[in-house]
Amino acid sequence: MNEMINVADLSFSYTRKPFIDGVSFDVAGGEIFGFLGPSGAGKTTLQKILTGLIKKYKGNVRVNGQEVCRHERNFHENIGVCFEFPSLYEKLTARENLRFFGSLYKKQRNIEELLESVGLQSEADKRVSDYSKGMKTRLNFIKALLHDPAVLFLDEPTSGLDPSNARNLKDLILAEKAKDKTIILTTHNMYDATELCARVAFIVDGRISALDTPRNLIMSKGAMTVEYVYMKEGKEVTGRTALNQTGDDTLLQSLIAENRLLSIHSSEPTLNDIFVEITGRRLR
Amino acid sequence: MKLAALIRGDLRFQFKYGFYFLYLFFTLFYIGLLAAFPQSWRQKAALLMVYSDPASLGLFFMGGIVLYEKSERVLDSLAVSPIRTRDYVFSKLLSLSVISSAVSLAIGAFGNILSSPPSFFVAIVMGSCLFSAFGLIVAARIKTLNEFLILTVPLQIFINIPAIWYIFGARPLWLLLHPGVCMIELFTAGPYSLIALLVLTGWTIPLFILATRAMDKAFETLGGVKL
Repeated sequence: MNEMINVADLSFSYTRKPFIDGVSFDVAGGEIFGFLGPSGAGKTTLQKILTGLIKKYKGNVRVNGQEVCRHERNFHENIGVCFEFPSLYEKLTARENLRFFGSLYKKQRNIEELLESVGLQSEADKRVSDYSKGMKTRLNFIKALLHDPAVLFLDEPTSGLDPSNARNLKDLILAEKAKDKTIILTTHNMYDATELCARVAFIVDGRISALDTPRNLIMSKGAMTVEYVYMKEGKEVTGRTALNQTGDDTLLQSLIAENRLLSIHSSEPTLNDIFVEITGRRLR
Repeated sequence: MKLAALIRGDLRFQFKYGFYFLYLFFTLFYIGLLAAFPQSWRQKAALLMVYSDPASLGLFFMGGIVLYEKSERVLDSLAVSPIRTRDYVFSKLLSLSVISSAVSLAIGAFGNILSSPPSFFVAIVMGSCLFSAFGLIVAARIKTLNEFLILTVPLQIFINIPAIWYIFGARPLWLLLHPGVCMIELFTAGPYSLIALLVLTGWTIPLFILATRAMDKAFETLGGVKL
């Protein structure tokens, strides 16, 4: 697969102390790559470097074939950014916002189709200030798609959405991936990251602590467990055993044989559990 | 093409946020005030009105405009778009000079100070761009309107005192080094108009460059950590 993003030994600092330190990774064309990390870990700074806002970095950062610190004028024609918080003129309508931002690019997708894709067509002539938080989030998302960019940076794209709209938005992200778009997803939401990302990187204190597929990260740090509840001397007791050792758990086998189980379920560590285990930090 | 799109966007923004309505009201107010003045006062009063308000409106309004864009996080999107910072700055300056020119020409015509409309027009456009650039340099660094108002007080003193002095008769030649004085000289198509034009250009271009640098810095510091 072709590499759309190539970062090698990237370091950057606002002061003398390194803020981003020795970061290296590649992202292939058509891949969804996730950044997970607590606030202040360096995710936004990394995104600012990748999108060409910060140019005084050390190391190499190539995006869409261009070294970012020396990018050409057309660099931003192929980059779309959906910020965590809506970035819209509140007194303009949704349609006016899309027309204005679209006019800044050479390419422009059909505005009506984009509005329809997030269910905003009938509200397109309302001022953005009259929109709910979820509506602004949806509008903000399609604004990033306006110019059909090859690389998309999405920062907490489902934040503030109800489950139905979050599902729709994740389907739209997957549709972009199907069109071979490269997507960088920055999120605290481990479920979104697990579902959407081919690979994720954990960022803490400006460094990548781990980088792999969500499945590999989860499986590398602990097996699935089985948790069961039964009654003993009038009290509920919980037992736990590794999934691959249930055959050795004589208590569990006797509870099954005597039909004494109150409940039983399997569970596996979440990406959040793995994040805490590897980094010693919480995502929020 | 992107500059044209930005200017259209800025004009729409200014219309939607009521700038045109506000200045229609101010224009009528100033003309009404001029009509109430005795004939002998009108020219100086019109000069003072044009200089202190429509010509320098960018100094006041740039704070509001940029703070709006910061609070609505629009600057974030503009920073990652293909526009150049100098286009952004040029668009802000030119779009505000449209209101400045229209209002100044209306007041100027009523106050009978348009002895040379081209000279008057050039002075208004350049002066408006200069004052807007001053405003933009301050606005790029601040977070609140209060900060903007406080920081622009010394600028207003610097901009207004020599020019007002010149309007009311003080005419030492060295005052022509002051951009506001140059504007008055051009408004009145005075004998030193050519020098005034050169000096005003000498102020406006570097201020435009400084405003572009200030906005470059502002784009760089959007979001992320603040140290």
